[in-house]
Amino acid sequence: MKSALEAIGALATGFATTFKHLFRKPITEEYPEYRRPLPERSRAVIVLTRDPDGGERCVACYLCSAACPVSCISMQSAEREDGRRYARWFRINFARCIYCGLCEEACPTSAIQLTPYFETCERDILKLVYEKEDLLVEHSGKDKEYNFYKYAGVVTEVGDKGAHEREEKPVKIKSNLP
Amino acid sequence: MPKLIIDDREIEVPAGTKVIEAAERLGIKIPRFCYHPGLGSVGACRVCAVKFLEGPFKGVQMSCMIDAKDGMVVSTTDEEAVNFRQYVIEWLMLNHPHDCPVCDEGGHCLLQDMTVSGGHGIRRYLGLKRTYHDQYLGPLVQHEMNRCIHCYRCSRFYQEFTGYHDLGVMQIGSRTFFGRYQDGTLESPFAGNLSDICPTGVYTDKPSRFFGRRWDYQRSPSICINCSLGCHTVASGRYREVVRQEARYSEAVNGYFICDRGRYGFFYTSNEERPRQALVDGKEVSYDQAIREAREKLGELIKSTGPDAVACVSSERSSLETQAMLKKICQTKGWQGPHYFLDESMAQKVKSASSRLESGLAVSLRELESADFILVIGADPVNEAPMLALAMRQAQRRGGKIAVIDPRPVSLPFEFHHLNVTPNEVNLCASLLVKTAVDLGAATDLEQPGIEFYQAIPKLETVSSSLQEQIAKVAQELKESKRPIIVCGTETVRQTTPALAADHALLLQATNKQAGLFYLLPGANSFSASLLASEDGSFLETLEGIENGTIKGLILVERDLLLHFHDRQRMELAFEKLELLVVLDYVNSRTQQRAHIFLPTSTLYEAGGIFITQEGRLQVVPRAHLSGTPIAQVSGGNHPPRIYESEIPGGEPRPGWQALAELVHEEPQPDENTTRSSVLNGLSELNPAFATIPAIDELPEDGMRVSSPEESSPRFSLDWIHELERKESPDKSLELVLVNWTFSTEELSQYSPPLMKLEKEAAVFMHVDDATSLGLSDSDKVTILLDRGALEASVSVKENMAPGIIVMPRHRLLEWQKIETLPKFVSHEEIKKVSV
Ligand code: SF4
Ligand code: SF4
Ligand code: SF4
Ligand code: SF4
Ligand code: FES
Repeated sequence: MKSALEAIGALATGFATTFKHLFRKPITEEYPEYRRPLPERSRAVIVLTRDPDGGERCVACYLCSAACPVSCISMQSAEREDGRRYARWFRINFARCIYCGLCEEACPTSAIQLTPYFETCERDILKLVYEKEDLLVEHSGKDKEYNFYKYAGVVTEVGDKGAHEREEKPVKIKSNLP
Repeated sequence: MPKLIIDDREIEVPAGTKVIEAAERLGIKIPRFCYHPGLGSVGACRVCAVKFLEGPFKGVQMSCMIDAKDGMVVSTTDEEAVNFRQYVIEWLMLNHPHDCPVCDEGGHCLLQDMTVSGGHGIRRYLGLKRTYHDQYLGPLVQHEMNRCIHCYRCSRFYQEFTGYHDLGVMQIGSRTFFGRYQDGTLESPFAGNLSDICPTGVYTDKPSRFFGRRWDYQRSPSICINCSLGCHTVASGRYREVVRQEARYSEAVNGYFICDRGRYGFFYTSNEERPRQALVDGKEVSYDQAIREAREKLGELIKSTGPDAVACVSSERSSLETQAMLKKICQTKGWQGPHYFLDESMAQKVKSASSRLESGLAVSLRELESADFILVIGADPVNEAPMLALAMRQAQRRGGKIAVIDPRPVSLPFEFHHLNVTPNEVNLCASLLVKTAVDLGAATDLEQPGIEFYQAIPKLETVSSSLQEQIAKVAQELKESKRPIIVCGTETVRQTTPALAADHALLLQATNKQAGLFYLLPGANSFSASLLASEDGSFLETLEGIENGTIKGLILVERDLLLHFHDRQRMELAFEKLELLVVLDYVNSRTQQRAHIFLPTSTLYEAGGIFITQEGRLQVVPRAHLSGTPIAQVSGGNHPPRIYESEIPGGEPRPGWQALAELVHEEPQPDENTTRSSVLNGLSELNPAFATIPAIDELPEDGMRVSSPEESSPRFSLDWIHELERKESPDKSLELVLVNWTFSTEELSQYSPPLMKLEKEAAVFMHVDDATSLGLSDSDKVTILLDRGALEASVSVKENMAPGIIVMPRHRLLEWQKIETLPKFVSHEEIKKVSV
């Protein structure tokens, strides 16, 4: 008898809990009707950003492609007329990317950055292979300041020898005077 | 042999070995920047510090400066040494720019490696960095002086090792600068090595600038086929093309370095104009169809006129496999040839060189460095085989004396005696020199013919007194030498010279000298060609056969007749007479464009192959990458195509040996590797000399010498003396001497864009006396009337060459192929000054 009462009691509490929730405000967000803003640091689709002056940041150094554990980044570096090294083409195969973010960590110029945007489902896998024109954006992403060529010391339109950050004037090789 | 202990492990090394090297033998790589095994030690960078615990030295010392001694106990991991090295790295990094991402050295940079492994990860110094302006150093080397760590490797290599002086060091202290006095192309033909030896990215490879990273390259051991020395290289391939070639260490051949012709001579393989499709009458067809048509047409020809209506010509740049396959085909089918040489006298010279290279005499390029006297007979090292000049330079640095007997204005980056006698006097001059130096009385076990040979050499008085003086002076040095080596060329010398050089080496050997012999041959695979060449019939006879209609079909394998034959017009007319011209090649030569049927073949990088160097060293090259149009060309520089194909575009070319096998056999052929093994297995039937070589995968790293065949040509022949008597050129005329230059004349390197930028203007050289009597002065323009028309060139007037000759380069931009017969003499009337 006692055990039967206990069972009924348990049932009643259970139903009561459920019943209570009928009158609460729901916390489920309706996707895709509602798209929750994700934190900046979340890792999804990758972009190639520009430096604050608008120049392409990526110098095609191959470090991201070397760091990528699934080898989904490929590119070809080349020299631009003004001496800047840049990517003639740059390809990421998002069908393979595991969004680990190692490329971003490896990048010495802050060019490659993961963004929170993740809605890239495609039926055709080839559409997940992004080329440089798909990756390049018009802003600086998370790093608003860095311009690699201001520090590198190589001659580009950003600066001549001795004109970069923390540089002395070039040595005069044919004179002993300072 | 001192015994020492390094990091608790004992090792015994030859006396004179530095501690840094002894450690390396144990597999311990002590950090280093300035030390380079090819250049030695200077102790400039201080990064090789180790701690000496016991023995003659104590405390932290530079391991590259100290010879290994008995009883030394060395620790590379001692805290004091580790800290020392870490501080050194830190101060070397004080001024280093922050530009690794845009530096081509990144990825194989010694400074990067040492910084990371030394544990200097965070910059503490916040002061200003020293900077330098960079210089333009020519088309091969890019300069970025900010990256320098003042190790002095470059200036030591450039000035001490190679003997050139236009790059060096300026300024003092932390302002020290390495470069030229002013912008300009580096003069040394070994300048490309700077990119290899600089431990940082000051000098980087310009043609492959910004192409990729070392870790992405498909790196594969290879050899250079731009001359007969066969230097070892590493080919770096990426996206279906070779993008860079570097030196590969070889104990026997090239040591640590290579020349710029070899380093940048590979561009023919990815040339945009390279024909990759089979062609029938100029129309693109499938490979199999082209082969079927060729086979049918050959069949018809043979049916109507017999098998000897077909002739085959190959070249010295084909692999042994291809050469041998062609030989075998000619044997079994009864076709004429194959000819590997166009000039019968050259064929004979190479034959006598390869047969006289006995194992007691032959020396390798590295062994040449130990000579204390080098006698060069008829060779111009920098122009014919640049690395020979570098080896001679090493002998000279060790105190060796060098004499060159050659009519050309030979220039070498070190001191030497130049006996600039006429082509006719080369043999005589060499013989007089050896005779003067050799005392027959001291000769032990010299055979009778040798004594007669010695006695037959004319008296010294037969030549001019000034030459007598020169000979006497050089002969004295030769007499005092213990290890004289004779270097003999084949390009410009008389037919008897190679044998004569060998006889002289024997004479020297008979007088208790450790004499050596070293030949230069005209092409990368000349040696193997001469082992395979048939005795009967010359190329000229084949050409006559075409002209009189007995030969109707010609198969050319990797041979550009319109480039190499001295009479282009005659060749073209002969081509017109042919019913069938089948060309197999991997370059877009003039000849290739004339083919009725063209079959593309793979290059060395795509097929691999065997090449035999001038000293008979058989070397195997593996394939570096598969055949195919480079991705950059498929996509026009943009990203690779976004479609998938099962076939590689432009992947049609097949190895020469495979294409040939398919050409002659109806039934389907096995794959290229099987065909290759069957050719290699049958080699000893073609020449017994091949019987001694082991299976290909058992060959040592440096290859091995093919011992010269049993029936070597007779020793001590006196033919050269008879030749002396019937010399005499037509009066008042100049002999035309066709020569090669470092750049612009060698066939494959002519397809190299960076080397084209280094080409000098096509000029002919004349002795100052001849120029004066012709009323010419330096850099005048002249027309020279040859048999098939006139030729315009500028004149370079020289004193250090023989009179009575015109030295003419086989320059890419000079149409020298207008000569009816060789040797060719040009009379004074045929040389006219062009007034501007
Ligand atoms: S996120 Fe990870 S997997 Fe994706 S490209 Fe970057 S490194 Fe590669
Ligand atoms: S790591 Fe950065 S700069 Fe280097 S290639 Fe990748 S995106 Fe470009
Ligand atoms: S340029 Fe290179 S090789 Fe020359 S001293 Fe500087 S770091 Fe050494
Ligand atoms: S010396 Fe000859 S074989 Fe050696 S790298 Fe130069 S061209 Fe090539
Ligand atoms: S390697 Fe020994 S001091 Fe530089």
